[in-house]
Amino acid sequence: MRILSIETSCDETGVAIVEDGRRIIANVVASQTAHQVTGGIVPEVAAREHLRALDPIEQQALRDAGMELRQVDAIAATVGPGLIGALLVGANYGRGLALASSLPFVGVNHLEGHVYANWLYEDGAVGGPRGTTTGGLGPPRTPQTPEPELPAVVLVVSGAHSDLVLMEGHRRFRLLGRTIDDAAGEAFDKVARLLGLGFPGGPEIERAARGGDPKAYPLPKAWLADRYDFSFSGLKTAVLRLVRTLEAAGDVPVADVAASFQRAITEALAEKTARAAAEHGVRSVLLGGGVAANLPLREEIRRRIAVPLHVPPPRLCTDNGAMIGAAAFFSLRHRTTEIPSLVRSNMPLA
Amino acid sequence: MLLALDTSTSWASVALFDGRTVLSEETWHAQRRHADELFPTIERILGHSGVALSGVDRLAVATGPGSFTGLRVAIAAAQGIARGTGAALAGVSTLDVLAYPHAASKQRTCSLLPAGRGEFYAAFYQDRNRSWKRRSPFIVASLAEICAQIGTHTLFVGELDDAAETTLRDLLGPKALFAAPASRMRRAGYLAELGWLELEGRKQTTLGEIEPIYVRQPAVGGTFAQPFAPPPRDDLALGLPRRD
Ligand SMILES: [Zn+2]
Repeated sequence: MRILSIETSCDETGVAIVEDGRRIIANVVASQTAHQVTGGIVPEVAAREHLRALDPIEQQALRDAGMELRQVDAIAATVGPGLIGALLVGANYGRGLALASSLPFVGVNHLEGHVYANWLYEDGAVGGPRGTTTGGLGPPRTPQTPEPELPAVVLVVSGAHSDLVLMEGHRRFRLLGRTIDDAAGEAFDKVARLLGLGFPGGPEIERAARGGDPKAYPLPKAWLADRYDFSFSGLKTAVLRLVRTLEAAGDVPVADVAASFQRAITEALAEKTARAAAEHGVRSVLLGGGVAANLPLREEIRRRIAVPLHVPPPRLCTDNGAMIGAAAFFSLRHRTTEIPSLVRSNMPLA
Repeated sequence: MLLALDTSTSWASVALFDGRTVLSEETWHAQRRHADELFPTIERILGHSGVALSGVDRLAVATGPGSFTGLRVAIAAAQGIARGTGAALAGVSTLDVLAYPHAASKQRTCSLLPAGRGEFYAAFYQDRNRSWKRRSPFIVASLAEICAQIGTHTLFVGELDDAAETTLRDLLGPKALFAAPASRMRRAGYLAELGWLELEGRKQTTLGEIEPIYVRQPAVGGTFAQPFAPPPRDDLALGLPRRD
């Protein structure tokens, strides 16, 4: 089964064609550059850009796949959670496409997309490398790579989410915890801005931290005791205070501050993920979202868990259409709950 | 066969038009539910007329000015349908749709739609050299600013509540004329006629070129860096240093 899938929940416009929930035939993503100027996402700007970019990207995906629309079996689009104006563009385009082509329309929860990014591999159909590199986490994923074993604990961390999810089986999710204030990626963005680094902050902090001492400055751990929820605003405030103090003293050792911040945030994320994995006796841990590309985070989690860790390659960690196509396939295969078709900016997991 | 879609404001409308007759039309107060109600309405409209979407070879969509999010619902849907069926797509200004049924009156006409913050989107239509058409750019301004440009009897159409009507009467006195409530409304049947004319003898535009008439730029000052997380609650941040 081939699904043409659309993602427009935040600031990436993505269209992909995915076969049987795993094989990426085409995956086109356009990042919105306008937000690099503002250093944050302006919802109205994001929605305008999606509308401009979506149809050309859909055409590009079909070209990359060497396919025509009539060779597709279903249309999928993210219907939430996300920025309402942005979601509406992708979902209405997708519903129009589906109605006009007499194909089923599958609404997808964006978070489930991040989960199912761990099922995807590229098959070299589009001139890219055969198999999907895992960014220093072992051999490339191929058709032979086994699917992650369930149940699993999933940590989705990006500029928009910090969610800890228990996946009991296909389409059976339970939210264990989430951020009560900033998303993890936002904390990276804000600290990066504070240190005069670029946007998005995740890769910038990781690069800057490479030469730094992670134990240079003690910072509060970004967590709440007893619960699986996260809180990053206290850590952010502590970094702000630290930087102001260092500035007053005349010098900010950027590498040391970046490394100390990165350590504090990754330890909190890793600790809760590992604790959830142990408590629920899961058979694997999955990561998703842009911050999952952070190498120290992955190493920190792997060090603390006894089960395999799955991380999509960086390109599939950030928002993309292929993950929506994967989630849509498993929605259709495991119809345990109703498939949504209406857009909601807040949407619970299935 | 042409399908016309309009979700420009809290009012929405869908119509089916065969080039001579409006076969079916539905106009409703969607408030903020356009996205939930648009597709069921499209299917109902087609069903009423026994027309399959594959039989629709033209589309018209209202492009505003209006609610940015609302406009994008119908435009994105129209782009998707056009991509799926290969139908030709025309974008028509929502203010033009409002004025169109009054063309025969040759009256100087002003279309108004609420733009928020006490302002209105407006455009002026007038007969000149036997041609009645839009004679102004799309404006966004207060009613007082709009009326400052009016020196003669003007027919007002569009979405005007009692307060707006009173303001216009106060500002213009007897020069302010008001169309009957039903003929002030926006109906997709008129959008369909305008779209049909627009597509006659014009070559296909790129679908991505059909976009809302924004008039107003987005407020970039207030960034929205936290789209998903719930608002911060300091009392929940146990064990953390308090904010300064
Ligand atoms: Zn995401």
